[in-house]
Amino acid sequence: MSLEKLRRIDDNRLEVPKDYKPGMRTNGVIFVDAVLEKGLEPSCIDQVANVATLPGIVGSSLAMPDIHTGYGFPIGGVAAFDLDEGIISPGGVGYDINCGVRLLRSNLKREEVLPRIRELVDTLYDAIPAGVGSKGKIKLGPEAQRKVLVKGARWAVEEGYGTAADLEKIESNGAIDGADPGLISDKAYERGRAQQGTLGSGNHFIEVQYVDEIYDEKTANAIGIFKDNITVMIHTGSRGFGHQVCTDFLEVMAGALNKYRIELPDRELACAPFRSQEAQDYLAAMRAAANYAWANRQCLMHWTRDAFISFFKISPGQLGMGLVYDVAHNIAKVEEHVIDGKKRKLVVHRKGATRAFPPGHPELPEIYRHLGQPVIIPGDMGRASFVLVGTEKGREETFSSACHGAGRVLSRHEAIRRAKGRAIRRELEDKGIFVRSAGREILAEEMPEAYKDVTNVVDVVHSAGIARKVARLRPMGVVKG
Amino acid sequence: MDYEQIDISGDVGIKAWGSDCAEAWANAGIGMYSLVTDLNKIGESRSVDVVIKADSSEGLLVKYLNELIFHFDTYNFIGRRIDITAFSEDSLRALVYGAEFDPALHEQRLLLKAATYHNIRIEKKADRCEVEVIFDI
Repeated sequence: MSLEKLRRIDDNRLEVPKDYKPGMRTNGVIFVDAVLEKGLEPSCIDQVANVATLPGIVGSSLAMPDIHTGYGFPIGGVAAFDLDEGIISPGGVGYDINCGVRLLRSNLKREEVLPRIRELVDTLYDAIPAGVGSKGKIKLGPEAQRKVLVKGARWAVEEGYGTAADLEKIESNGAIDGADPGLISDKAYERGRAQQGTLGSGNHFIEVQYVDEIYDEKTANAIGIFKDNITVMIHTGSRGFGHQVCTDFLEVMAGALNKYRIELPDRELACAPFRSQEAQDYLAAMRAAANYAWANRQCLMHWTRDAFISFFKISPGQLGMGLVYDVAHNIAKVEEHVIDGKKRKLVVHRKGATRAFPPGHPELPEIYRHLGQPVIIPGDMGRASFVLVGTEKGREETFSSACHGAGRVLSRHEAIRRAKGRAIRRELEDKGIFVRSAGREILAEEMPEAYKDVTNVVDVVHSAGIARKVARLRPMGVVKG
Repeated sequence: MDYEQIDISGDVGIKAWGSDCAEAWANAGIGMYSLVTDLNKIGESRSVDVVIKADSSEGLLVKYLNELIFHFDTYNFIGRRIDITAFSEDSLRALVYGAEFDPALHEQRLLLKAATYHNIRIEKKADRCEVEVIFDI
């Protein structure tokens, strides 16, 4: 491998050619402009090349502009595999299965919330279980947990968390078919028992925002986004349940490599042929974890709505806090794509990448079919987040995928070092952003400069045409784990 | 302290060492716990007995640490002292002494999702063993 072999295709695309390293079956394409290219870690370029060595890969090994080094696959990686010749890899999904984001809109205006934002953040902090070692308000017996794994967000709605109207605005309607609770280990059940309805820690958050810029008014208004209105973004996943499923199946896959004569440049790429028992078992277990995550975000949304209603003493109708959309950004899905003019079913891995279906896609709910799928992109807690929609270009070029966030630039240690002697909480307050966190160091680790500027990331996606900007959201208050 | 943090973009690792592998692995476990909280505040009111089998040294190390993560994430058990009472290439037994983590009392540092094979390193010499493991956080 050598960095000199990288070839710039155009302003927004960098090619990792097939001869970048031995064993590549296809090239890699990284969506970066010249500015983001400067920040690329050599190890994540290597990971794009490693993914290109996997059997049955279709098209290029892709990476979104928020790419950084992950385990096996890079974060920001997208790769599609043939169902007969290809593989499925837990490393192409990640430990936090169906980590994702949902965006809520409301009728509240920025000026109504601004004077009380500090108290509102305190209220949300009290309403949402968050942080290291915290347990949720929900305890799942084995029977209930099996229902969560099959029904996903629908389980939550049946239990009174939210309404049936929420479901159509969730990717896969909040419950992906083919989940099999019988394939889940006792350990995963144990670990997931008290973690339903919890935020977690790390980069997960609940953020109160306002809409500060609209790029496409027609689309924005059609999805309920209006200038200066309040939105809420929820970022979390399948918690310990999903981590355990990933851990369990990495071991299963590692054990199967010899059996299927698969040679890998990195053990974290452990995988199995898509049609094999190991792969089908992983897929069914991963779907169960994905459903656990959709139920989780549904519960957190319900408590968020309740907190707003009691805090502002208004009716649900006045608040108008409806779901805009919920996207998964760590998942593998079987989807139909057009390759060389022919429809083919592929298993698309998105690890730190967001599905972005174009207008007209049959899987989109009726209300969004003419617009394209809303793509929710969180930024860091000091700058901005974005709403985009899927495009035809994305369908042609990235298996309908876009970025998932800002992407880290600083290590945890470096972030803490740079934050030394500074009061990050105070710096954010000076910008009008109020933050509550369970952990002490988390604010330093997660401070804005630890991330790339999400605006640069989203601009590359927009300029490349693989998704289109609709609106920009600015943070006002953040709850961190 | 016979461990130190490894600094990598986004996540974090532990390098641990000892006069033999059993000692290095015990230190890796304690090093990992030190990422989660301040161990000076943790007593020894509980213990966990962990038995692991695997098909390689790397697999054994990853499974052992993931078992400790499981006990923390599921039962809030946090260790401060580890005795490796049996150790071979492909199996080990560890007695872990510690306490129940209480988020209201104990410092919340990092929530570990898993120990990974990413850049894993186990180096055995005549009188020293050194390991490196990266965690997904």
